[in-house]
Parts: sequence; structure tokens; C-alpha cells
Amino acid sequence: MTYLDHGATSFHKPQAVYRAVQCGMENCANPGRGGYTAAMTAAKTVLRCRQQASSMFGCQPEQVVMTHNCTHGLNIAINTLVKPGARVVISGFEHNAVTRPLHARNARITVAGRKLFDWEDTLTAFENALQKGADAAVFTHMSNVFGYILPVEELAQLCRQYRVPFVVDAAQSAGSLPIDMEKWGAEFIAMPGHKGLLGPQGTGLLLCRREPASLIQGGTGSLSLQQDMPDFLPDVSEAGTLNVPGIAGLSAGLAYLKCHGLEKIFAREQNEAKRCAVALEKLGFRVFMGENQGGTVSFIPPMDCEEAAQILADNKIAVRAGLHCAPLAHESAGTIDTGTVRVSFGFDAASWQTGNLLLAAGKLARQS
Amino acid sequence: MKNCIITFRSVTPAQRAEDTLRRAGVRCTIQRTPKWMEEKGCGYSLRMDCRDLMAAAMLLRKAGISFRKAYSLTEDGVPEELRL
Repeated sequence: MTYLDHGATSFHKPQAVYRAVQCGMENCANPGRGGYTAAMTAAKTVLRCRQQASSMFGCQPEQVVMTHNCTHGLNIAINTLVKPGARVVISGFEHNAVTRPLHARNARITVAGRKLFDWEDTLTAFENALQKGADAAVFTHMSNVFGYILPVEELAQLCRQYRVPFVVDAAQSAGSLPIDMEKWGAEFIAMPGHKGLLGPQGTGLLLCRREPASLIQGGTGSLSLQQDMPDFLPDVSEAGTLNVPGIAGLSAGLAYLKCHGLEKIFAREQNEAKRCAVALEKLGFRVFMGENQGGTVSFIPPMDCEEAAQILADNKIAVRAGLHCAPLAHESAGTIDTGTVRVSFGFDAASWQTGNLLLAAGKLARQS
Repeated sequence: MKNCIITFRSVTPAQRAEDTLRRAGVRCTIQRTPKWMEEKGCGYSLRMDCRDLMAAAMLLRKAGISFRKAYSLTEDGVPEELRL
């Protein structure tokens, strides 16, 4: 199988990740719940992961909260910053993981910047929206549908200038692009553990510059006589037993990334995505490509996109079709009625993958 | 050797403190905090030689790791709270 759905989850992960998960299951009890060896081994495993993340993403180990996935982290962040009816500025390329929690809080949403691959449009629209006053801003680092890399540093600067606290959704960029909470001044940055960070599913990280509000309450292994949740990080947002085998795997994924270097990984992903986009266009498909694009490409085939993805699947090519849980992004790009077929490269991006995809896409073009 | 104990709110700061002190050459052991030492219930602490206590407290403050209290233990194991 040629796996080109890293935007959904990374697959065929480094062997060290599988070994670490098994090792975690065999050796780790519950962290923070005991002083015996297996409990302390679990605690060390979790701390190591926090330390790796803090060094990669510009924060302190305590500021790294373990979540179940990126959506979980975004919900914690939005629940903290967005009160019912609050005014929130978002980009035109947000995932439902951002828009649904905002909708649930009856937030008054301003969508800023809807032109694909156009930093000037994104920045101008954000500045206009922020000038009018906002309680918070939430924006993705990279569109999960089109691979558009937003000008996050500049958006962060604007938010700081207008004193608007902001959240970055790093679902598609963590593991590929540099992320620095301290430098950006973000209140929260949410990311999955199972995509670019190469950990198992059921893992995620939320970087917190401030103590978040508790989304769920329960045991933390600390201050047990107190009925309020602890008010300090990371315990305030880590009620219940952590996914220690998953965190062990995530730790191995982070070690792999440090060893191989984000820049090299991103360059390979981007290079293959560009080659793929150009070749798909030559085959006659409508392809969405431009400046500031990462390792993800969307295209519209001549038939229904789900049908096209099925034909590719029959040719052992794994891609995703449809709306990708991001109807807002499709509205922005004018593809809400058709959806797109999305090709997303990952840490193992290689020219043979692009070659296999293009062979199958050629059949698709001939069938239409 | 007279033992001293520094207590922490939870396992994460206690582990970070252990890491910081060991890197600086201070010997210490992480343990669950005795119940009577933690009035809010459940926590972790570091046990060390009392001669290292002041240096340890300075190192932790410098590293931004907050701790709760410090105790010295007499030879009979009787604790005495210390002001740092």
C-alpha cells in the first residue's frame, strides 16, 4: 500500500514507536499514584515526554498537558478562553475541531482571510477583524485540506499588538514545522500525538502558557483532600489515568524527529507534494497549489471525489476524499459542493510514493 | 547523616526537582510524601542529606520549581518543619 493520508494519522511508524508502546505496557503502572518501581517508571516515561516536547516547542515541561488528541486540547483551550457569546476571530481554513466548540459556546465568530495561499489577504483580514475588538483568536498553522501554511508568526504578532489571546491549532504542522510557544506568545497550542509527532492514536499535547480551566474533573494523584481540581499545571487538565503506553510511543516519536530533523522531514514532504501537484495538473485534474504550501495537496477529479478515492484505494493508494471535517475551508476555496481528494505526505515521503500515486491517477484520468 | 525532606504538590515538580538536583550533584531520592506531612493529601517529596538542603532550595528556586515545605528528621525520625 502507498499510504498518503498522513493528514489523518501517520502510519507505518518508526519501529522504535511500536517497541516503546509495548515496553510501556509491560513496565509502567499508574504515574503519580505510587512510589514503587513500576509507578515511578511510568512517571519517568511521562516526564521524559514532557521534557522532549518542552524542548521542541519552547515551553516548560509542566506546561505540556497530555491529551487524547488535538481536538481534546482545542476544547480545553477554547473552553478556557471563550466565554458564551464571546467574539472570536478565526481563519477561513479551520477544522470542525475549532468551529464546533466555538459554535457550542455561541461564540460570535468572525472569519478572517479566505484566499488560499495568500498571506497578504490573511494578514489584512485578521488585522481588520482584531481592530474591531475580539476576546480571542484561533487559527490553524496549516490547513488540513489544502496544506496552506498560514503566517503564524505574523498573526501572533498582530494578536499581541491588539492584546487578543490566541490559540494555535498545530494538528497538521507539529512534526514538520517549527513551533515556539514562548516566541509566539500563544496562550495555547494544541497538537495531536499520532500525526506528525509519530506517536500512537489516543495521544496529544496541549502547550499551556496559562492554567487552563478543567474540562473534566477527577483524580490527579495530588492534593487529594481538596475537592477543587488542583490549580496548577499539568494536573489541572490531567484528571484520570494517563495513556502511558501511548505517551511512551509518543516519546519515541519525538526522539525520532529530533534525530532526523524537522527541516529535512518537511523538505521531503513539501518536495513530493509539489511534484505530485504539478503532475496531477498535467493529467487534467483541478489542483490546489501555491506558495506557502506544506506536504498536503488537494485536487478535484472528473468524477465524484469519493468514487475517485475508492478507485485509488483499489489500486492500493490510500488517500482521503470528501470534506475532511473542514467545511469552512471548503467554503473558502469554493469546493464545498464537490469536496476534494487529499494527498498528504508524511515523515517517510519518497518519490516512489508519488510515482505510484501518479500511475493510479493516470488510470483515473483515462476512466473519466 | 541527618535526613531532610522537601515536599512537592505532585509528581511532576518532584521529578523535575530530582532531575535538577542530580544534575547539580546533589544526591536525593524521590518518594511519596508521608501522609502527615501533606495536609492536602497525596504528594511527592525528595529526601536528602540536610547538609545539601540550602543548596537544593537555591537550585530549585533558580530553576523555577516550586516546592511546598521542608522538614528535618531527627535520628528518631521525629520531623521538624524548617523555614527556608
